[in-house]
Amino acid sequence: MNIDIKGPKVFYEVPFDIPILGRLQISETLIVSWLVMIIITGLCIWLTRGLRVENISKKQAFAEMLVEMADKFVIGNMGEKFKYMIPFVAALFATSLVSNLISLIGLRSPTADLNTEAAWAIVVFTMITAQKIKTNGFGGYLLGFTKPIAVMTPFNFLSELATPISLACRHFGNILSGVVINGLIYAALGVASSALLGLIPGVVGNVLSHIPVLAVGVPAVLSVYFDWFTGVMQAYIFCMLTTMYIANAAEE
Amino acid sequence: MNQDLVTIIPWNVIAQICNLFIQMLLIKKFLFKPIREVLEKRKAKADAEIADATKAKDEALAMKAEYEQNMQEAREKANEILSTAQKTATLKSEEILKDASRQAIAIKTKAERDIEQEKRKAVNEIKDEIGSMAMEIAGKVIEREISEADHAKLINEFIEKVGEDS
Repeated sequence: MNIDIKGPKVFYEVPFDIPILGRLQISETLIVSWLVMIIITGLCIWLTRGLRVENISKKQAFAEMLVEMADKFVIGNMGEKFKYMIPFVAALFATSLVSNLISLIGLRSPTADLNTEAAWAIVVFTMITAQKIKTNGFGGYLLGFTKPIAVMTPFNFLSELATPISLACRHFGNILSGVVINGLIYAALGVASSALLGLIPGVVGNVLSHIPVLAVGVPAVLSVYFDWFTGVMQAYIFCMLTTMYIANAAEE
Repeated sequence: MNQDLVTIIPWNVIAQICNLFIQMLLIKKFLFKPIREVLEKRKAKADAEIADATKAKDEALAMKAEYEQNMQEAREKANEILSTAQKTATLKSEEILKDASRQAIAIKTKAERDIEQEKRKAVNEIKDEIGSMAMEIAGKVIEREISEADHAKLINEFIEKVGEDS
């Protein structure tokens, strides 16, 4: 059995090189990301169609519930002064969730590409750092690395860098592991069903053994964990950590 | 062609950062803005209704207070009128009584005076009568000396006269 788990497909590559940034590649990740954005935006538009002040529809109640949940989540974790973060956290959560779950319809998750998580982690890290500088001043921010004693400076620096890396890798690793394990299971089930059906003698067994019968049904059970649970969980954890880190950075 | 499984391509990172912020703007515009507007409107409406209700209540309370005050005033006025009327009536009755007694006294004194006068008049008349009678009798007595025969005639005349007078 041969398993080849590859990165996202590249559909188009800009022929010229740009220093440092390299070549722009239109990859599967980007295409599916755009699809995810279209889905989310479409959902938003659909949910907010025909809003009424009184006697609201179930759809509107759901939309209002979403907004209130986002409010509660951000204000509960970060406090009233971070109200302006609500759309960002909501966008992060929605994008992460839909990206994770889009693998259910057979597309490659944009979150199974480290570039996506790296992008998010860079944004979050920038926000954390900006918040720290805003709270303590630039000097205070730099001085913060020498706490509690000057010897700790390299470790503090490392732990600061570890924040975005762990943030990105945690999400990426969980989703990629789902992809890998799904690949392994499909392959294993293919082998198992071919071995099982290969027991049938003659041409019939020969033909049937090429059809991975066991691959129908069994992966669905596993996808409850690897797609649904991990997908929702990682989106939630990523947003939770984002709000926590930024709220902590705002503390003196 | 595929990318590596775990790799960082700066362009893709930049693209994903852009995607995230575009997504944020889209969510803000298409979900948060309309929903917040509706929530705001609903809140404003509820606030307006509460304010209206409060206002109506205040008005009702003011009206009630005014009504009670009016009632109080009316009651006071009625009491005043009643007491004034009573006072007036008492005064008037007393006056009438005084008047009546005064009049009665006046009538009584007048009557007494009249009676006195009448009495005096009657006494005087009687006195005059008696005087004249005595004079007459005396005359008659003197006349008899003149004629005895006329004496009887005189008495008869006198009796006749008395009879006529009486």
